[in-house]
Amino acid sequence: MSMFSIAVRGIRFIALACAVLAGGAALAATSGAPVRVGGTLALTGPLAPTGLIHKLVGEIYLEQVNRRDGFLGRPVEWVLLDDQSKADLARSLYERLVTVDRVDLLIGPYATGGILSAMAVAERHGKLLVHNTLGIPKLAKYERQIPVYSIGVVPEQTLPATLFDALAANGKTPKTVAFVTSKFPSVHFMSVGARETAKKRGITEALWLEFEFGTRDFGPIAARIREANADFLWVGSIGLEGNQLLEALKKLDYAPKNPFFLYPSPGPLAQSPDGANALSMTLFEDHAPFTNTPQAAEFARVYRERAAKAGITYLDADMQAAVAYAAWQTLEAAVTATGSLDDARLAQWLRANRVDTLLGKLRFDGPGNYGDDLQKIKQVQSGRWITVWPREFAPPGARMNLQ
Amino acid sequence: MPSATLLAQSVLSGVFSGALYALMGLGISLAWGLLRVINLAHFAFVFLAGYLVYQCIGVSGWSPTLVVLLALPLFFVAGVALQWLFARFSVDEFGSLLVTFGLTIMIESLIQWIWTADVRRMETPLSTWSVKLGPIYVPVAESILLLVTLAVVVAAWAWLRHTYVGKALRASAQNPVIAAAFGVSHRRLAFLLSGVAAATGALAGVFVAVGSPISPSQMFGSLGVVLAAVILGGLGNPLGLLAASILIGIAEALTMALTAPSWAPLVSFSLLIFILVLRPDRV
Amino acid sequence: MPVRPASGPRPPGRVVAAVAVFLALACLPLAQPPAFFESFLYLVFLWVALATSWTILSGYSGYFSFGHGAFFGVGVYTTATLVTAGEMPFLATLPLAGLASLLLGVGIGAVVFRVRRLRGELFALLTLAITFVLATIALNTPIDGGPGVFLSGVSMPRLYATPASTLYLMALLVAALALAIAWQLQYSRVGRALFAIADDEDVAEVMGVPTFSYKLRAIGISAGLAGVAGGMHALFVTYVTVSETFSITVPLYVVLMSVMGGMRRWYGPALGAIVVTALTYAFVGGEWALAGRALIGLTLILVILFLPQGFAGSIGAWRARWQPRAARSGAQLTPHGLSPSEAPATAQAEAAVARPSILSLNPPAAAASSSGALHAAEAPFLRCEAIHMAFKGVKALDGVSLEVHSGEILGLVGPNGSGKSTLVNVISGLLQPTAGQVLLDGEDLALLPAHRAARAGIARTYQIPRPFARLSVLENVALPAMFGGLQLAPAAALERAREALDFVGLLDRAADLPATLNLHQRKFLELARALAIRPRVVLLDEVLAGLTPAEIDSAIAMVRSIRDAGTTILFIEHNMRAVLALTDRLVVLNQGRVIAHGRPADVVREPQVIEAYLGTAAC
Repeated sequence: MSMFSIAVRGIRFIALACAVLAGGAALAATSGAPVRVGGTLALTGPLAPTGLIHKLVGEIYLEQVNRRDGFLGRPVEWVLLDDQSKADLARSLYERLVTVDRVDLLIGPYATGGILSAMAVAERHGKLLVHNTLGIPKLAKYERQIPVYSIGVVPEQTLPATLFDALAANGKTPKTVAFVTSKFPSVHFMSVGARETAKKRGITEALWLEFEFGTRDFGPIAARIREANADFLWVGSIGLEGNQLLEALKKLDYAPKNPFFLYPSPGPLAQSPDGANALSMTLFEDHAPFTNTPQAAEFARVYRERAAKAGITYLDADMQAAVAYAAWQTLEAAVTATGSLDDARLAQWLRANRVDTLLGKLRFDGPGNYGDDLQKIKQVQSGRWITVWPREFAPPGARMNLQ
Repeated sequence: MPSATLLAQSVLSGVFSGALYALMGLGISLAWGLLRVINLAHFAFVFLAGYLVYQCIGVSGWSPTLVVLLALPLFFVAGVALQWLFARFSVDEFGSLLVTFGLTIMIESLIQWIWTADVRRMETPLSTWSVKLGPIYVPVAESILLLVTLAVVVAAWAWLRHTYVGKALRASAQNPVIAAAFGVSHRRLAFLLSGVAAATGALAGVFVAVGSPISPSQMFGSLGVVLAAVILGGLGNPLGLLAASILIGIAEALTMALTAPSWAPLVSFSLLIFILVLRPDRV
Repeated sequence: MPVRPASGPRPPGRVVAAVAVFLALACLPLAQPPAFFESFLYLVFLWVALATSWTILSGYSGYFSFGHGAFFGVGVYTTATLVTAGEMPFLATLPLAGLASLLLGVGIGAVVFRVRRLRGELFALLTLAITFVLATIALNTPIDGGPGVFLSGVSMPRLYATPASTLYLMALLVAALALAIAWQLQYSRVGRALFAIADDEDVAEVMGVPTFSYKLRAIGISAGLAGVAGGMHALFVTYVTVSETFSITVPLYVVLMSVMGGMRRWYGPALGAIVVTALTYAFVGGEWALAGRALIGLTLILVILFLPQGFAGSIGAWRARWQPRAARSGAQLTPHGLSPSEAPATAQAEAAVARPSILSLNPPAAAASSSGALHAAEAPFLRCEAIHMAFKGVKALDGVSLEVHSGEILGLVGPNGSGKSTLVNVISGLLQPTAGQVLLDGEDLALLPAHRAARAGIARTYQIPRPFARLSVLENVALPAMFGGLQLAPAAALERAREALDFVGLLDRAADLPATLNLHQRKFLELARALAIRPRVVLLDEVLAGLTPAEIDSAIAMVRSIRDAGTTILFIEHNMRAVLALTDRLVVLNQGRVIAHGRPADVVREPQVIEAYLGTAAC
């Protein structure tokens, strides 16, 4: 045996020893019963408020699935790691899940950057990646990635269309519109699309403002919105920006006509007195008809209970909770249908079949595996988010309140 | 062309943001200028105070006066403890930066553990109440903030300028050996100053909680701009800090009013760069 | 930390060991470890490279940068733009990413390093502000514009079979490059100069260090390395956004790692990077995320409190304690002078033998005229012509002209505030006069930077000694020998420094830190530093102030022997006994003007001199 091959074997042994140490008991357990599903979430850092919701939902789902008979009669175990809201860390952690923890299946992290990192890893190892919050569909280029976030192939065209249709159907097609948008990637491209849609429909653009993600002082922006005084206000915001802007407007004693917020933190906006009649997009809210199925009703009930226990202020299961749940449902549906944990077979099945989830029947056969745009319009009414468009998704008796 | 009302309203908004930067930065400026301690944990103190205010006033419904009266001594003690740590281990300037960064991470974790990562919002009638003066709207909470900031800044200035404690502190900062020879006990004064600095942070925390929704990771949000104001104003110089903060606030607000708001950081930080390069003696 | 000469052959064993470690790591992918290890090690190496690049600028030269987010970010976006819009092959973009950052760094340096006050926290904040400005520009222009840059279609170079291995190898190469440069710099002239700049920049300049160009080199190298690392990282993250690229995380983490590891040693930041990255990974389990984060904070606090010199500093101190003392004869360079030791018993004996050597070290021309007599007839070789110096309108020097003749001791006296120190600062090049000339052999030095004066052979001492606090006594003296008129190679400079120390009787303290010397010894250290460059003229600024009468006597003897060895001296002093005893001619300065000059005994009797002294300060 040559020195070289001895050296290679030595290095290989050391690497393996390290792997065993790092993987620890987990590695040994793979041979045992549970099906291990690996994923990361932003449990700390700036994305943690939403990461928290995804974690709660995952725990709820795991309890439920294990009370049934798990995946293929085996219990399901969730190997959850904290990516600290960093995309580069997410990448390494998915490498770890695949190559060290050797999980059977992957589930995506929260938010676009992390998902793209995870997708690159999944692609390299041929793994299936079911993910739930990739906001920019055109970035999804891997065959075995399954986007549960059913916003369609070109949400930047379809969402504004839905929105303006909703306004038109209520006889409130705006003559002028003011756009204010954050430069956050997954927000900005939607705002650009909305701007184009408005132009096509002949709506006058009264204002177009871009602000930096992390802007602290919304006073001057509010003053310009007030000055523009458009019939409709598109706020391309994420998280708290919407609230901050509304408060700044309120201080100018100005209530914008028909404000739409793209990705607001649900709680603060719904619970704020200034948030009344604010519009937003959704895929699921905690009311009929979404909660008509026993499973959805049960989920909403349990979520409310757990969220309260976890100290979350907004207790309705909303879109984020539902997409997190739907991702697990999608994974389960594929495993059950194929009777397999093989990534290729699962992906193939998912791309050929429809899956019943909280969000509705999903399909993954379009470009980038995206299917229909299921986005709906919701509105704050009496401190809660209520779906108001399309009408068939509104709870009985609910109407869209427009000025 | 934007109207005069819009410009005036924006300038006012900038003044208020500047006031908050100044109130947040005061403790940092004092500790940095007079104790050579760069206290990043000041931002954590501000947020911790903000959360306590949210809990006590927003949730438990205590009287705001009572909460402020309790919070100030509490944070004073925290400041003293921090200074004790620095003195005990004779930590240098950049050591203090790193120790307080570590402390900030710990406090951030503590906050998230107690209040979760979820966003908290203290609803008070103050948050959106404004008064109309001619065509201009003057928000009440921010006006109180401005008055408090002015009072605290002027008090800090007078304290440093006209009292024995202040003179002794400045003397120690300039030349610790000579000051010690004149019987100045830097140690005790440092405790006092660090305590006061932390207490001003608690005060800033009250306005952070009143002014906007809070979540733990936001504590680094205004780090850059506050440090810019602290340096521009001159370390340990309360009046300079106030002037610099308001200058930055107005510069950002006017950029937002006149051009794309996303260019705003360029203006404030270019301003800082130009002043540093062209007029370093003024800093 | 081992002590060894600044130059000369490196111990071959170390180089071999370093190459072996590098090769072993480079071969690691052959063993096909789980991809996670490569991915984890990739991040370790990335941070090693970034933290080391930070240290080359900030640890060595003391200019704390908070701008490494900018250098890193420029690298990220250069590569991202070139591989997507420019369709360049990835590897070809890396040098360009480094170059772009290097240019940015040098550009910043070219402006900022001219402003004397922009040090310490001001420099830190300035660089942070530049980061924010660049982020805003990237966000609002087609460089990014908001949507981020996605590098999905970019073909990965195939250095190894898998992309993870390839990225691993690239990171290893970048980290090794950074470490090699840091190692090389630490023991080179540049490294010495940077350490001196960190301790006292003005003094370094006066000793002959071209501080401006050295700082530019440091920031250029540092920024360039960060840029290459950034370019590489663009491919690792594949989806590049402004908020993640130009975040405060990069500058905070590199400072953290470098300080934890020890930032005045080449391997310190690497240790810090390994520890911090490993800690970050140790607590990623979903249940422990929060506790883990708190624990990282706590670790940081404890390390700074208990290991203020970082891991590398502690290792150095530990090794210093365990190395036999004799092995460190104190006559060699330490990496940064933090390991003082006692001198070997032989030093005194060596000193006695070596003393006469100083005589042979002076320029023959000067030595020839060293009779100690009055040299009024000789052509002056240092001439100040009508020097004016105004500070914000206040005239410190108002048309001062004087001549120093070769081989003489010219006394310069005057009451406090008369402009003596300002004149010394002008002659030594630290201050540039508002008007006037400083002619050395007919060449005008007035407007040249101070290091040019040192190279021309002008040396000075400081009234209050200003040694480089973190360099040993020997290194303090070796520095001017390296950069002053002689421009010696490091090994020769050490030799020269030993001679100079021997001349002033400090050889036995060569390995100590200046802080351990008393005032008298520190004044002699100043002298040794001045003599180390074999000066043509020495400006002695109140070398006697603060000394006891006995010490003054020995100092007078020392000054006389320096002159006797052929060196011209400009002697600034308050002590009239010494002035009268030593000087050949005397110039009296008052309120920025020369009010008298001539033979010392005559000058002190002139009425305006008496008035100037009695009117202001008695001597």
